[in-house]
Amino acid sequence: MIQLNNIFKWVNTGGNKTFLLRDINLSIREGEFVSIMGPSGSGKSTLLNVIGMLDNFDEGDYLFMEKNIKDLKEKHRSQVYKEHIGFVFQAYHLIDELTVFENIETPLLYRNMKSTERKAAVSDMLDRFNIVGKKDLFPEQLSGGQQQLVGIARALIDNPKLLLADEPTGNLNSKQGEEIMDLFSKINKENKVTIIQVTHSEKNASYGSRIINLLDGRIEKEG
Amino acid sequence: MILNYFKTAYRNLIRHKSYAFINVSGLAIGLAACILLFLVVRYELSYDTFRANYDKIYHIYTQDTYSDGIDYTPGVPFPALKALRTDLPQIKSGALFSSFGSQVTIKEERETKKFIEDNGVFFADPDLFEIIQFKWLIGNPGVLAEPHAMVLSKSTALKYFNDWQNCVGKTIKLDNALDFRIAGVIEDAPYNSDFRLRVVGSFKTMEDTKTMGYTTDWGSTTSNFQVYMLFPDRLTEANVEKQLLALSKKYYKNEGNNKRLNLLRPLKDIHYDTELGNTGNHVIGRSTLLTLSLIGFLIIIMACINFINLSTAQAVSRSKEVGIRKVLGSNRPQLFWQMLTETNFIVLVSSLLAVFLAWLILPYLKHVVSLEEDLSLFNFQSFLFLTCLLILVTFLAGIYPSLILSGFKPVVALKNKINSATVGGISLRRTLVVVQFAISQALIIGTIVAITQMDFIRSADLGFNKDALLLLGGNTDTLVLKNQPAFKEEISKIPGVQIVSFASDMPSSDNNSGTNFAVDHKPDELFTLYLKFGDEDYFKTFGLTFIAGKGYDKSDTMTDVVVNETLLKKLNITSPELAIGKTLRIGGGRWKTICGVVKDFKTNSLREEVKPIMISSKRKRYQLTCIKLHTQNLVLTQKEIQRSWDKFFPDYVYTGSFMDETIERFYQQETQMALLYKIFAALAIFISCLGLYGLISFMVVQKTKEVGIRKVLGAGIGNILYLFSKEFALLILIAFIVAAPLAYYFMNEWLGNFAYRIDISPGVFILAMLTSLSVAFLAVSYKTLKAALMNPVKSLRSE
Repeated sequence: MIQLNNIFKWVNTGGNKTFLLRDINLSIREGEFVSIMGPSGSGKSTLLNVIGMLDNFDEGDYLFMEKNIKDLKEKHRSQVYKEHIGFVFQAYHLIDELTVFENIETPLLYRNMKSTERKAAVSDMLDRFNIVGKKDLFPEQLSGGQQQLVGIARALIDNPKLLLADEPTGNLNSKQGEEIMDLFSKINKENKVTIIQVTHSEKNASYGSRIINLLDGRIEKEG
Repeated sequence: MILNYFKTAYRNLIRHKSYAFINVSGLAIGLAACILLFLVVRYELSYDTFRANYDKIYHIYTQDTYSDGIDYTPGVPFPALKALRTDLPQIKSGALFSSFGSQVTIKEERETKKFIEDNGVFFADPDLFEIIQFKWLIGNPGVLAEPHAMVLSKSTALKYFNDWQNCVGKTIKLDNALDFRIAGVIEDAPYNSDFRLRVVGSFKTMEDTKTMGYTTDWGSTTSNFQVYMLFPDRLTEANVEKQLLALSKKYYKNEGNNKRLNLLRPLKDIHYDTELGNTGNHVIGRSTLLTLSLIGFLIIIMACINFINLSTAQAVSRSKEVGIRKVLGSNRPQLFWQMLTETNFIVLVSSLLAVFLAWLILPYLKHVVSLEEDLSLFNFQSFLFLTCLLILVTFLAGIYPSLILSGFKPVVALKNKINSATVGGISLRRTLVVVQFAISQALIIGTIVAITQMDFIRSADLGFNKDALLLLGGNTDTLVLKNQPAFKEEISKIPGVQIVSFASDMPSSDNNSGTNFAVDHKPDELFTLYLKFGDEDYFKTFGLTFIAGKGYDKSDTMTDVVVNETLLKKLNITSPELAIGKTLRIGGGRWKTICGVVKDFKTNSLREEVKPIMISSKRKRYQLTCIKLHTQNLVLTQKEIQRSWDKFFPDYVYTGSFMDETIERFYQQETQMALLYKIFAALAIFISCLGLYGLISFMVVQKTKEVGIRKVLGAGIGNILYLFSKEFALLILIAFIVAAPLAYYFMNEWLGNFAYRIDISPGVFILAMLTSLSVAFLAVSYKTLKAALMNPVKSLRSE
């Protein structure tokens, strides 16, 4: 599903090039649960952003679902990641001014869905995650774990094929973290959603089927 | 979708209340000012536009070219009416004669009512009412073909007779001399008309009785006699002017130094002609309307600038949300429209507030502009204007911030790497602040200059005494003249009265009658001599000083004459003593001797130079009684004078006014202008400071960490204050450099209207600069002090 060939990314800092990603070659099939690990500054988040098309790269090829994204125009590219990719962040990044219901609804607003259809989809999602009673609360009224739940619900609302998670349990305690990882597992197995997560924790990585280690922008070893 | 945007916008406002307040109030005030200015300008532009044949109505005026200049009068000689009808028969010409200060007497069984109509009593012929049309409630224009016929407006008929439907046939006496019979009633003219004819007698009366100054002489012209014309279709102004030229050649002698010509002006210019005036209650120059519109425009610009600055600065705290929305699939156009919708929401709220503010202030407009009726806020045109204004402001104020906000890269935004530096546009924001303060400072300078000039005028030495001087207007018919001496004797005995004199007009007046004249048995001089008539006590009453010779003795007709310094200057007579004994004659009259020279006094408003003047006695012209009072017990003394008046002139209305009030009225428009400037300068500074407050609040938040670090490194409160102050002090300085030359240029132009004016001293500019700086500093002091006093531990705590 995802094919990265010789991806390079660098930044120019006062005349010298600092490489963020060096010669990344990576292949991920549909249905996999991959964990990307590595020390701070190794380029994990950068790699995730590149895969999620939130960031550009300077050299190499990226084929998403067999299409080379370099060939796609900006409009098509955003359409691709809108339709197929969902993002979960470490800091949840909910919109503070919107309720839980409205936060989950927001991606659908950009899909030109009718109001009644949107309502139905969000209600289903609330049901699935057992947070129906919280639908009119604002993010600041929820605990960390609950906020992340909403973030995941939002990422999944449009049935993406790929879920990208950047240290999803980083701000949660162990029990909340466990619940989230169980949820990921379930989604991966039952709904066949490909998951790529960046994590520090060995325990979290064990939920996945594959581990990729990064060091200084290079893939160290795959396991 | 739009609903979602509005919801977000509303919730955003609630969360950031102070930001919302600043933005909304600044915009609301700007919008309210704009709305009010629009209403005033539109009203002034609407005068007489409702008239049928609006663009075919013309007014004829007279131009006299002398060797020393050109004079204009809105009147034409009386015989010109017939000449126009004979020589230009295809054009309908109508006569309108106005008499201001005429008295109307209505004798009823139980009481006698007396009125002085301030707005004038008119004489007209039927043709005039075909040109300046009214709705006739009773009768028709034809009733004015008869002599001694009179037509009243509905409200006047009610005032005189308590009933308009049955007043036809009743009688009215004008100036205790002319009798009239009511022959018709017309609808009241609307307020926005320069032809608010309330009392109209038939012009034939004047022609038959040869009263009110009517004459068949081509040589004299009074501004009170005016002719209006209605052009038929397809006749052009140029065409008619050519015919008028031929007419002028035919009828005017045009010999010597005087070339006389008749010219046209269309109805649409009449309300704005400050030179020729009109028969309504005020004139407003087009330049004034332009200035008002410009001020309205500037204020809106300033409010928009505020909005742009604050929104852009606020972009920093919205960056996270923008990043999230982009990740969730929003593209740039969608975000752009979302931000624009938010702007629209704020603008809508502001405009509701603005309409409310405007509605509150409307009744007070009368004090600032010469309006008689309350303007209506709720009509189609205002609504249309408001909508256009809303759209304009939304786009002006919203485009830039929306562009900035929608352009954030999501990754950068989410990592909180957006700060005011990366938002950019700092130079734009600084420029905007400079523009705001430039406008404010220009207005402040303008206000200071205007106020100084008006003060100068009010306290200027006019060269004569104007304190405690009571002026009684009156008539010069035989009955009055007969009783004048006895009246003067009686009131002179009143303890509060110092001295009494009769005159044609006071030393400073807007009306000056001029004539050709000659000196020393030489041929006529090339310039005009202006005349005043007063009795032997005139000079003492007004405190005029003689620099040579003395006044004339008591006489009913002209014997000796007194002249002023300016006349001598123009005649090149070097020493005033040399003038005594010289001979002078006016028009083609008899030669008189100059017996005295008075020191120059201001003969007109300070807008004009002193004119060369001759003062002499002529009882037939004594319509004004001038009484110098002692300053104590003014009220009591006035009552006694009034009692005396009623005794000697029972049929005449007592009209007493003090001279300094009358003079004040010369400058009514300038005084109003000065008030307007004050208001707008205050508004401008307020809006600018509002914006500055918002910006500094933002700077404080952004620089929290920097302030903390500096304090740890040893900065004192003064250093921190300096950190923030230098930012805006520099901007204000730049604004001043931009504003000062512009303001100087415009105020110099305005001062050019006055022959007597102040010089714009550097003190004005320094004062303006200091005012801006101190007001700005006050506005931001709270926030900057708070920042300077903050505990560095708090600000350096990391998230």
